[in-house]
Amino acid sequence: MTWAIPYIIYAAFGLYIAAGVASLTAPRRNTLAQILITSGAACGGAAAIVMSIAIAGGVQDITMAGNTLRLHLLSVFFLYIVSTGALLTSAFAIGYLPRYAETFSLRAVNTASAVFVGGMTAVVLANAPSIFLIAWEVMSISAYFLVIADRSEESFKAGFLYFIVTQIGFFFLLAGFTILAQGAIFGTWRIVSENALHVGPLALTLSFFFFFIGFGSKAGLVPLHQWLPYAHPQAPSHSSALLSGVMLAVALFGFLQALTLFPVIVAQWTWIVIAVGLISAVFGALHAAVETDAKRLLAWSSIEHMGLLFAAVGIFLALQEHLYNPVVPRLASGIQLFVALHIINHFLFKVGLFMGVGAVVSETHTRSLDEMGGLARRWPFFSGAFLVLTLSAAALPPFGAFFGEWTLVQTLAVGIAALPPAYGIAGAVILAVVGLVAGLALFASVKLFSMIFLGRSRMTHAAGDTPLPRMLVIPPVVCAGLSLFSGLLLIPFGIMGGALPRDWFAMRIVPGAEMNGWFIFGMFALAFLFAFAVRRLGRGEVRTTATWDCGQDLSPRMQYSATGFAAPIRFFFRTLLITRKTFIAEPVSPQNPWIKRARLEWAVQSIWEHWLYDRMGEALISAAQLIRRTQHGVVQVYLLVVLATLIATIMLAV
Amino acid sequence: MNIFVMILQPILFLAVAPLFVGIVRKTKALFQNRTGASVFQPYWSLASLLRKEMTIPEWSTWVYHVVPFVVLGAAFLLALVIPAFAVGFLPSSMTNVFVLTGILAVGSIFLVFGGMDTGSTFGNMGSSREMTLVALIEPTLFLALGLMGAIAGSWDIGSIVVNGAALPWVGMAPVLLALGALVLAALLENARYPVDNPATHLELTMVHEAMLIEYSGTYLAMLEYASAVKLVAISVLVVHIAFPFYIATPIASLPAFGIAVAAFFAACAAAAVGISFIESTVVKMRFYRMQEYALLAFLVAAAALAAAFVIQA
Repeated sequence: MTWAIPYIIYAAFGLYIAAGVASLTAPRRNTLAQILITSGAACGGAAAIVMSIAIAGGVQDITMAGNTLRLHLLSVFFLYIVSTGALLTSAFAIGYLPRYAETFSLRAVNTASAVFVGGMTAVVLANAPSIFLIAWEVMSISAYFLVIADRSEESFKAGFLYFIVTQIGFFFLLAGFTILAQGAIFGTWRIVSENALHVGPLALTLSFFFFFIGFGSKAGLVPLHQWLPYAHPQAPSHSSALLSGVMLAVALFGFLQALTLFPVIVAQWTWIVIAVGLISAVFGALHAAVETDAKRLLAWSSIEHMGLLFAAVGIFLALQEHLYNPVVPRLASGIQLFVALHIINHFLFKVGLFMGVGAVVSETHTRSLDEMGGLARRWPFFSGAFLVLTLSAAALPPFGAFFGEWTLVQTLAVGIAALPPAYGIAGAVILAVVGLVAGLALFASVKLFSMIFLGRSRMTHAAGDTPLPRMLVIPPVVCAGLSLFSGLLLIPFGIMGGALPRDWFAMRIVPGAEMNGWFIFGMFALAFLFAFAVRRLGRGEVRTTATWDCGQDLSPRMQYSATGFAAPIRFFFRTLLITRKTFIAEPVSPQNPWIKRARLEWAVQSIWEHWLYDRMGEALISAAQLIRRTQHGVVQVYLLVVLATLIATIMLAV
Repeated sequence: MNIFVMILQPILFLAVAPLFVGIVRKTKALFQNRTGASVFQPYWSLASLLRKEMTIPEWSTWVYHVVPFVVLGAAFLLALVIPAFAVGFLPSSMTNVFVLTGILAVGSIFLVFGGMDTGSTFGNMGSSREMTLVALIEPTLFLALGLMGAIAGSWDIGSIVVNGAALPWVGMAPVLLALGALVLAALLENARYPVDNPATHLELTMVHEAMLIEYSGTYLAMLEYASAVKLVAISVLVVHIAFPFYIATPIASLPAFGIAVAAFFAACAAAAVGISFIESTVVKMRFYRMQEYALLAFLVAAAALAAAFVIQA
């Protein structure tokens, strides 16, 4: 079967290119383009399956177009993610994009999507830094066209921000690879890692941090996250799903791929990775908890999850220093397990939630959670799937993400006792921070679901009176089904990670704790049986009445809005969330100034924006003001400056 | 024998839960110089609620109907995984402390959904507050339980309890501090003083009761019963960690089982009186001071961590 791998990969890329060409030439044939992307993704998935079989069979290298392609579990893992993501989102786009035929240019969106997916596939399959970087640019630039798809002022602004950050990140990556490869970036990964052996310590440190900045800015780590909550929500929802659920994972892949090239990782570096990861996680979770825009909430939550994942990678690297301690390899494999499970789970629920929100927004025509409500009555089945995705995002048992986070907190808890005191205390602190992040994520997820689906509709127009088209419902439902059962992945992954089960029922992943998804499922099933039994004891009579209203009619606006729901969090974390309130009063009649139409506008501003970006901008402007003083328009002065520069250059050169 | 103990433990919790609430109410009444209702009154209240017709608010969705099942199911799971009188009878992947926090969160957030699914501000207010409290207390729960497990060398609830008995006196300090943090978290999770007033529907103070306000009849019985089961299970857990003796293990003899069951009832009584003592001597805190309460709980857990490392050194 190994001989087939190159052909399947060619087929995947061929189909992606065909999809791009088809949508360029026949922009009205949306279904055709999506089917081509879907088939390309299916080929990508097939390639991943064949590659996993080949790896299991001990095959290491394959020849593709005269080059050696090293089969690596890491690439294959991410190829699964990219292909599944493309498959689901393109299937969703069949029903979704025609609803926006006027808003988006289908030609641009579909061409960009095809190129984007192809770029991501190439990134995970690249066998050399040069190919990796080219594919990375293809991915990044096509994503720009997805962000600006609706051509609104807001989108162009967000897209511009994204473009700047991604280009800065790209040059950091280029610099990092150039240092590490000693200039030979056209060689394969193996040559680069051999060259990296001769790199000096300072250059090695520099290149590590260049990679961290480059990949971290793509993954939305603070303080280079600024673009993410603006750019991701602006894209069409199926593209937002790819950007948030898949492209961020590809950024993590890039970081891991780069790490494999390093001859040595210094422990001090890893603490910075952990710290930045945790700060991003808390910051993202906090903003997700107070956000009122449905898609932006999901984007913030992506920052949170990427922060957790990068922190976990940092912890994994920090543990490498203590391998003499017999517990540490088990802890490291626990962290590895978390990273693998969490990438899968985050991918599943984030892609599902973005598509779900996309389906909702295509009916409500607003992204504001303050204006939705009551949709569970209209779409019971769809809302059930959405509920599953939300609970998975909140990492609750028995849903998939719970098992990932359980592995993380359990490993950290083991670390408290098993590691030297300084590391143990660090483990406990990280555990507490993860607790805070989990709590805030719970808050954000509950808010998202209840504001969209529960209570009474706050919308002024009739929305959701018709059932959702099937193509909008199936892909999120698939994601929901997978995230419900992804907890059972613990067992195959535990076995792959070397944690062989003592017996099938008691998987000991880290010392002192056993985890088994089947038991948790069984337990919940038993609990429901019990609850049903109690319900049977009662009389079944049901009467529908008005909600208790204290004798005065209720209006939908009396319900808590998303803004009001998050008010306590905004108050308790007011030092970390800068709230800007402006009271705007406009006189209604010119005769009487006392009759006014008043409204309160408010926004939560990010502390990074306030304390870093705004300050940097001010500093830049004041520097420009200073420099302006030298500009008198006297030609002699300019000539003097030119002459001085020339002399200085010659002196430096000599 | 094993199966018998496995079944008996949750049944004991389920059976004594209303009595436990009755004792708390009775002792509270005695503290206030009232006679109070009989300790068996909650059984009658629940039975009469069960038989009553249910009213469903017109603005609710299917989620409103699911809530009582999930909340009662979560309470049942607490009764299942928390040891009543014997430890070591369940697979330890079920009795892990982080599964416990997960179960607590499931119960809490479905109650929140119930409050959000009424179309009225009362339920919404309770939901917003409850959700905030749950989010704020999570770090404390993770740290306190994780630390207790680290001291015991196992994160199975039963092992944490049994290991407490084997600790030297000085080794008890971090466990007791972590327990202190856990008590603060438990008062919050169970909507007791000083976080919430379990006796009123007054909008200024209410959290838990506000979320239930639209529920009636059988559903209300299920939710009230769930909160009683949750209260007794968590109280018994706290007593067991504080006083880790007379607990049966799979190798215990039959008389030891008898003593353990008797100890369970004593633990229930002690916990009930303890709760009513706290409720009669502590004032309720303002909701907008809850970050101080959560921070206090977290600092106690952090102190436990510090104590653990000082003792180790």
